[in-house]
Amino acid sequence: MKMKLPKISYNFKLSANLALITGLMMGILAAAAQGFFEVQPPVGQGVCAITHPSNLVNWLVNNIFGTEFTIHGIFVAVPVLTPVGWIIGSFIAALKNKEFQIRRGPVRENLLAFIFGFLIVNLALLWGSCPIRTAVLASYGWVFAIIILATIVIGVILACEYIKWKVRRM
Amino acid sequence: MIGVVTLIIGLILGYMGQRSRFCTISGIRDFYLLRDAYRFKGLIGIVIGGIIGFSIFKVAGGEFPGFPLLSEGINVEPPLLIPIMIFGAFGMAFFSTMAEGCPFRQHIMLGEGRLSGVLYIAGLVIGIIFFDIVIVPYLQLLTIVG
Repeated sequence: MKMKLPKISYNFKLSANLALITGLMMGILAAAAQGFFEVQPPVGQGVCAITHPSNLVNWLVNNIFGTEFTIHGIFVAVPVLTPVGWIIGSFIAALKNKEFQIRRGPVRENLLAFIFGFLIVNLALLWGSCPIRTAVLASYGWVFAIIILATIVIGVILACEYIKWKVRRM
Repeated sequence: MIGVVTLIIGLILGYMGQRSRFCTISGIRDFYLLRDAYRFKGLIGIVIGGIIGFSIFKVAGGEFPGFPLLSEGINVEPPLLIPIMIFGAFGMAFFSTMAEGCPFRQHIMLGEGRLSGVLYIAGLVIGIIFFDIVIVPYLQLLTIVG
């Protein structure tokens, strides 16, 4: 008697999971940078879109104007170049796929985009990390980073509700 | 060495970030408003990738002091900074939703030629200098008091 086995199909589409793969790469590269290339202390410092630009800007300002702005010990001698890599990497990808185009948006008003950049970095530096590094620190097992990750989710949900409320009023 | 390593990591993630439209903040927003999990999976991916990376590389001989930190609890010194940090993270999330993307995504948008990405990063640079000059002395004072 033949038994019919249930068919198991793997429906994993690469294009539908590119963000997941990028996230996985971020976590793994952050760990590799810390463990094997001495991008520490502090821990989980492999990838961060707030402290890396901050260290780079402070390094440049210190070297040009002789100031003494705070830089993490590991980035004092050689500047951290991840932000430069992100911009060049994105530029190459956009150019290669014919998506590079100088255009407005997504924030409609130019001044508002500038203010957002100014405001967000000041708030983020109070915490000391971007959402990416927060997730990396959560994976490192730091309980406070897990709390902060939950805070970020709450912040986004409240912002969504505010936007919905604003749209309803219009 | 660190300069080269960080540049290579940046190039890889910059390329992948542009192709995948990766964004942590938009991931949460899309999942909450549209039940679209595409970008949200990216945030989950960081946590899973981190756990895999830290665990495997630790076995392979990498240097991960205290990993996993779970047993150490909140571990913030001085505790006076806890509400400030939570306020900062909340504000970052709230305004990043308004700015249509997390700080990483704004770097990617700059590379794509988006004007608001350019202006956002300009604001970020000025903001960093402002933080160093105005906010840091107050934080140092709080640290001493705490």
